[in-house]
Amino acid sequence: MRTKVIYALSIFAALMLVRNLYVIFLGLPDEKDQGAIYRIIFFHVPSWFTSFAMFIVSGVASGLYLWKGRQRNDELAVAATEVGTVFVAIGLATGMIWARIIWGIWWTWDARLTWALITWLIYAGYLMLRRGIDDPTARARLSAVFNMFAFTSVMITYKAIEWWRTQHPAPVLTIRGADGLMDPLMERMLYLNWLPMLALAVVLVMIRMRQEGEQREIESLRRMAHAL
Amino acid sequence: MFLRQVWTVCAKDLRSELRTKEALNSSLAFALTILLLFSFAFDPGADQIQEISGGLLWMSYAFAGALILNRSFARELFNDCLDALIFSPVPGAALFLGKALASFVLLLIVELACLPVFGIFYNVAWADRFGWHLFVLVLASWGLTVVGTMFSALTVNLRMRELMLPMLLYPMMIPALMSAMHLTTVLMSGQAIGGDHWIWVRLLIGIDIIFTALAVALVEVVLVG
Amino acid sequence: MDARNFTYMFYGFAAVWVIVVVYVISLVMREGKLRRELDGVRRMLEDKEAKR
Repeated sequence: MRTKVIYALSIFAALMLVRNLYVIFLGLPDEKDQGAIYRIIFFHVPSWFTSFAMFIVSGVASGLYLWKGRQRNDELAVAATEVGTVFVAIGLATGMIWARIIWGIWWTWDARLTWALITWLIYAGYLMLRRGIDDPTARARLSAVFNMFAFTSVMITYKAIEWWRTQHPAPVLTIRGADGLMDPLMERMLYLNWLPMLALAVVLVMIRMRQEGEQREIESLRRMAHAL
Repeated sequence: MFLRQVWTVCAKDLRSELRTKEALNSSLAFALTILLLFSFAFDPGADQIQEISGGLLWMSYAFAGALILNRSFARELFNDCLDALIFSPVPGAALFLGKALASFVLLLIVELACLPVFGIFYNVAWADRFGWHLFVLVLASWGLTVVGTMFSALTVNLRMRELMLPMLLYPMMIPALMSAMHLTTVLMSGQAIGGDHWIWVRLLIGIDIIFTALAVALVEVVLVG
Repeated sequence: MDARNFTYMFYGFAAVWVIVVVYVISLVMREGKLRRELDGVRRMLEDKEAKR
C-alpha cells in the first residue's frame, strides 16, 4: 500500500513538473524588468512553502509525540525535518542565484535571509542531536523537546518581513494587486508548481520514515541478540 | 510552596558555586580574554567602535555565559546528585527555575563586572542611561539563561555533551543575542531607545516569555521521561 | 552577460535538481546500508538461536 502511494505520487510529481516546465518556458512571457530570470520564482517560493509545511508537520508531530508517546510521530518528525532542510537548501540556493542578478550580490544580511539561515542551522542541530543519542526512547523524547524550541525560529522567519523593513520583497500572497506586480497567470503557476514539489516532499518523507522504522528494527534486534 | 522550592534549589546552587567559584572565575577570566582578543581584531581607538560595541560585548557574554550554563546540570553528575534531585519531591519546573535563577545571577555578576572594563578599554559611554543598560542586560540574560539551562538539562546525559551543547545553544540564542547586540549598540552610541528600536525590545520580551513557558512545560519530560 | 539573464536562470534551475538528486542519492545509499545492517543482525540472531 505504502509503496503504491509512493509510486503514484512520484509519477504525479514527475508528470506535473514536466507539464509545468513546458508552461513556464513556453507559455509565460519574460518579466518586464527582470527578463528570463524571474522564472526562478516558480521554484524559489514553492520550495519555501514546502519547507515551512514540512517544519509545521514536524513541529506538530513532535508535539503529538510528547503528548501521546507514539513512535510513528517521532519517525514523522525526523523525516519531515530532514526533507524540510533539503527544501530550505533549495530555497537558499535559488534565492542566492536570483539575488546575484537582481541585487548584484549573493547574500545580504537582511532579516528574512538571516532568519532563514538561522532556522536552517537550528534544524541541522536537531538532526545532529539525534545522532548523538543512542537510546531510541531518549532520542525521540529529547529531540521532540528540542523541536518545540526550534519551531519558534520558524515563526520568527515567517514574521520577519512584517517586523523589519527588508530588502527581500513581501510575500506574494500580500503583494497581490498592490500595483499589479504579480500577473494572475504567474501567480497561478506558483501554486501549480507547489503541488508537484509538495508531492515530491511527501514521497521523500515516506521513504525516510520507512528507513527510520528499519533503523528501529535493527536496534531492537540488536537488543534481542544481546539478551540471548 | 513552589517559590520556596525554587529558592532552595537556587540557594543550593549559588552556595556551592560561591564556595569554589570555579565557574565564576573561569567565565570571568574567559570574558576578559575575549575582550582583549577583540582589541587585536579591531582598532580599539577608532570611532566605529561604538557601532560594533554591542556586538563585541554580547559575543563575549555569550561565550563566557556558555561556561556557566554548561555546568548548570553537569555539576550534578558527580555522585549521582542529578538522580537524587530528580527523585526528590521538588517538581521539575521548580528544579529548573531554581537552577536557571542561580545561573542568571552568576551571569549577571560576570556581565556587570565586564561592563566597566569594556568601557575603559574601548572608551564607550556605558554609564549613561545605566537603567536602560540594566533593563537590556536583565532581559537578554534571562533569555540566554533559560535556553542555556534547558539545553544543559537536555544534553546532560549525552556522550558528546561538550560538543553538542554549543552547537545547539548558539543558534537558539541568536534571537536574544541579536536584540541585545542591537539595543546595546544603540545605547552605547548615546541614543535613546525609541521608534524603530522598540521592535527589538518586543522581540526580547516575547522570546523570554515563550522560552520560559516552553522550558517550564517541558523540563519534566526531559528530566524524568 | 545576456540581456535576458538566461544563464543565471539556468543555474537556478540546475541548483534545484542537483540538490534534490543529491538528497535522493543519500537516501538510496542509506537504504542500502540499513538493508545490509538488518541482514547482518538477522543472521547474527539466527546463529545465536541455532547454537542454543
